[in-house]
Amino acid sequence: MRPWLTLAIIAVAAVLLALLPLTGDAVWIQFGINALLLATCAQAWNILGGFTGYVSFGNSVFYGLGTYGTAAAMTQLGWLFPVGLALGAGAAMVLALLLGIPILRLRGPYFAIATLGLSAAMAAVVSNIDAVGANIGLILPLTRADGMFYELALALLLACTLTVAWLARSRFGSGLVAIREDEDAAASMGVDTTRYKVIALVLSALFTAIAGGIHAYWITFINPASAFDPTLNVQMVIFAVFGGPGTVLGPVVGAFILSAIYEVLASWISTAAAFLFGLVIVLAVIFTPRGLADIFGGVRRHGAAYLLQNIRENRL
Amino acid sequence: MLLAQILVNGILLGGLYGLMGLGMALVWGVLNIVNLAHGSFIMLGGYAVFYLFTLAGIDPLAALPIAMAMLFVFGWLLQRFVLNLIVRSELLNTLLITFGLDVVITYLAQYLFTADFRTINPSYAGANITAAGVTVPLLLLAAFLIALLLAGALWLLLNRLPLGRAIRATAQNLVAARLYGVDPRSVYALTFGLGAALAAAAGGLYGITAHLTPYIGVTLTAKSFVIAIIGGLDNPFHIVLGGIVLGVAESLTALYLGPTYTDVISFGLLVVVLVVRPRRALRAA
Repeated sequence: MRPWLTLAIIAVAAVLLALLPLTGDAVWIQFGINALLLATCAQAWNILGGFTGYVSFGNSVFYGLGTYGTAAAMTQLGWLFPVGLALGAGAAMVLALLLGIPILRLRGPYFAIATLGLSAAMAAVVSNIDAVGANIGLILPLTRADGMFYELALALLLACTLTVAWLARSRFGSGLVAIREDEDAAASMGVDTTRYKVIALVLSALFTAIAGGIHAYWITFINPASAFDPTLNVQMVIFAVFGGPGTVLGPVVGAFILSAIYEVLASWISTAAAFLFGLVIVLAVIFTPRGLADIFGGVRRHGAAYLLQNIRENRL
Repeated sequence: MLLAQILVNGILLGGLYGLMGLGMALVWGVLNIVNLAHGSFIMLGGYAVFYLFTLAGIDPLAALPIAMAMLFVFGWLLQRFVLNLIVRSELLNTLLITFGLDVVITYLAQYLFTADFRTINPSYAGANITAAGVTVPLLLLAAFLIALLLAGALWLLLNRLPLGRAIRATAQNLVAARLYGVDPRSVYALTFGLGAALAAAAGGLYGITAHLTPYIGVTLTAKSFVIAIIGGLDNPFHIVLGGIVLGVAESLTALYLGPTYTDVISFGLLVVVLVVRPRRALRAA
């Protein structure tokens, strides 16, 4: 997609979404806050996962740190919300830096699994720290300002998406893509692969942690199980991959579509919602293995046979 | 004496863990699929044994091979008609599709079996022997021996039988194997079926020693992951050993630090193993 077209779509979508609270419909706003935060997480995951191909199952750790940083700063230290957000984001970035250096040496499934291990270990560590409520959790001061949370989440998603749009055009982003395509070749061409990957992880941690902090203040109650929920991480991956990893708009569109489908299914046929959700994922992987974003180009290349073409390429 | 008891418990539990890891490692090593639905296969195996015992009155240990055969067919069909469509695509996609399958299976299980806690409870469930002050639960001992037996059978199959040679050849070089007359579609289906059958054996034994719910899959998948990584993918006995390492580590942690720390240790161990020994033979099945 041409860069000006991408930017135009982002601008129009941002304005339209920013106007949504004017309808005053509480259900829509609450759904919106959730969808926007999830989309931010998917987009942040995309920075590392989509561009470098390093599948992280540890992003929920950054989310949890953002959640706990914000909550602990506000309840235990009595600091203001923005300061708490900064604290949580700072903690997540420092952790990303410290962990990224040893763990990003691992490739392929090993990296994925190491991050999965980290996220499980972190949740268990936090649930043993009494200062942050151990297993019970923390309760934040109640603020009834859904409109504000909505606009904050939107601003965060916008910042994250613009960062990815910049990545897609910049030398740094090309370096990341080179790592995805062939890491050894990238290194031999002079890309400082470790530094690139660590920076990508730190950026990813920054946005994920702020999303966690906003969610904590909005929902006003957190505990280790919800803050470090590994299924949240799986959702990030699914949204990004469903929409199209390594693209600018794919992860956001994927997040919106899938959260909408899930929401509709849950209210319409509540018991079978998860079942159909799983089925959608299975079918999506079979028919559009490169993500929804690929459909536009794919249909232009192959016409209606595009979906079967995908199977032909990937079947045994 | 407490320490000896804890070690024995850990080792016996580790045998069961090893059995969980076997199917995961087989599928991963041969098909290059990290099967996120592995834990839900274990869960299905557990329910198969549970219903064979409660409805048909078949002794749980005798029901084990039946459950294995059922899950073999299930896994074979799944690979032959669904996963083979996508198996050549990136790792990310196979992760995603098996995750989707896990969600589907979990909710079908919840619908069919309800969310009630189930335990397979034969008359000899609590039997144990005491030797030198250490109590050995007989069922865990049986589970341990069955794990060793199945690891041995898998080793024999892979290293001594023609089918095993075809499986190893497919894992090493798909194109070359095809040139030598191996049909990778059926080899993949057979391998995935075997992985599911091993999961069923683990599930049946798990159901005798712990509670079954439709939701145990995710945790068991994560454990199987850890075990496959600690043990490596090349030798079934190493995987059982990996299971024992995990079982002992968890038991010791529960004793000295408290049960809430077991996950910290088992997943911390995983990260340490990965960082210290990053380049193990991955596809040498």
